[in-house]
Amino acid sequence: MSTLHVLSHSPFGDSRFASCLRIFGEHDALLLCGDATYALRPGTAPFETLLGRGLKLFVLAEDVQARALQAPDWAKAIDYPAFVELSIEHDKVNTWL
Amino acid sequence: MAAVSLTGSVMKFAIALFSAAHAPSSRRALLFAQAALAGGHEIVRLFFYQDGVYNAGASIVTPQDEQDLPREWRTFVSDHQLDGVVCIAAALRRGVLNDEEAQRYQRSAASVEAPWALSGLGQLHDAIQDADRLICFGGA
Amino acid sequence: MPKSLLLISRQAPWSGPSAREALDIVLAGGAFDLPIGLLFLDDGVLQLLAAQDARAVQQKDLSANLQALPLFGVEQLFVCADSAAERGVAPDTLALDDVNVLDAAQIAALIDRYDQVITL
Repeated sequence: MSTLHVLSHSPFGDSRFASCLRIFGEHDALLLCGDATYALRPGTAPFETLLGRGLKLFVLAEDVQARALQAPDWAKAIDYPAFVELSIEHDKVNTWL
Repeated sequence: MAAVSLTGSVMKFAIALFSAAHAPSSRRALLFAQAALAGGHEIVRLFFYQDGVYNAGASIVTPQDEQDLPREWRTFVSDHQLDGVVCIAAALRRGVLNDEEAQRYQRSAASVEAPWALSGLGQLHDAIQDADRLICFGGA
Repeated sequence: MPKSLLLISRQAPWSGPSAREALDIVLAGGAFDLPIGLLFLDDGVLQLLAAQDARAVQQKDLSANLQALPLFGVEQLFVCADSAAERGVAPDTLALDDVNVLDAAQIAALIDRYDQVITL
C-alpha cells in the first residue's frame, strides 16, 4: 500500500511538515505544493530533512516557478496532468488540510 | 480532446474542497478537476465543506483583472454537468444560503444558486463509496 | 464491502471549526453504518482532555459528540503517542475509553489499512 501525502503549508512555523514526515510510510510519496514548496529553500532545515530522507518527492511546478525556487534533482517537478496520474498510482491521497 | 490516461483506465474521483475561493488550494482543486476530466476520468461529485462552501457564493464580487473562481467553478460544473454539492450545515453557519434556506431562516439574501445543491454529509460519504479516489483540497 | 475512511483530527477543540467539523464527518459516516476510524494527531489530542468546560468560552461542547461515537458504531479510535507526550497528555487520563495509543510506525500502518483518509 502507498499513500500520496500532499502538503501546501509553509514548513516554517507549521507542524504539518514534521508530522507528515513522522508518520510517512516506506512506500509513500510526498507532493509539495503552494507554500510547502518553500521547503526547497537550500540550506534550511526542511531542505536538509528532505535531502536526508530520500523519499519519493514531487513538487508542483507552477508553485516552484512562482516562488523563484529550484527543484533539486531529487525532486520531480510536475504539472496537473501528472498530479492526476500520481493520485492514481498511489492507493490514496492524504492532503494535510 | 481528452488525452488518454497513462494508466489506461478511467478512474472515478470524488473531490472535496475545504478552503474559501481566495485560497490558493481552491484554485488548485479546480485545475486538478479540469485535468482529471481532460485525462478521460470521471468526477462523481464535487463536495464543498468547511470554508469550501464559499466557492458556491454567487454574491462574491471579483475585480475584473483577478480570477473569478466562483464563476469558474459554476461554469465548470455546468459545462460538464457535474454534481456540485455544498454541505448545508457548513453553509448555514457561514451564511451561505439558497432561496429555500434564506426563507426558512428569514434572511434577506440568498447567495447559493444553481448549479449548486445544498445537502448533507451523507453526500460526501456516498461519493467516497462510489469513487476510486478521494482528493481533498484546502488549508493553504 | 463498504470502503473504510480514516479521519485524522489535528486541531484543538476550539481553534476553529475543524475539530467539530471533523467529528461531524465521523458521526455522519457512523450513522450510515460505514467503517470509520478516528485518529487524534498533533493538537487533536487536546480534544480528549477531561473536564474541559466549553461554556466558559461560549463554544460548542464536543465531549457529548465524542462520547456518542460508540453509539454511532465508531469504535476505531486512535491517539498519537508522540503528540500526547509533547502536550503532556497522559494516555490513561483521556476523556474517552478504549482509545488505542499508537506510535509513528503504527500510524503509518494504520493509514495503509484504510481505503480513504481525510486529515483535517
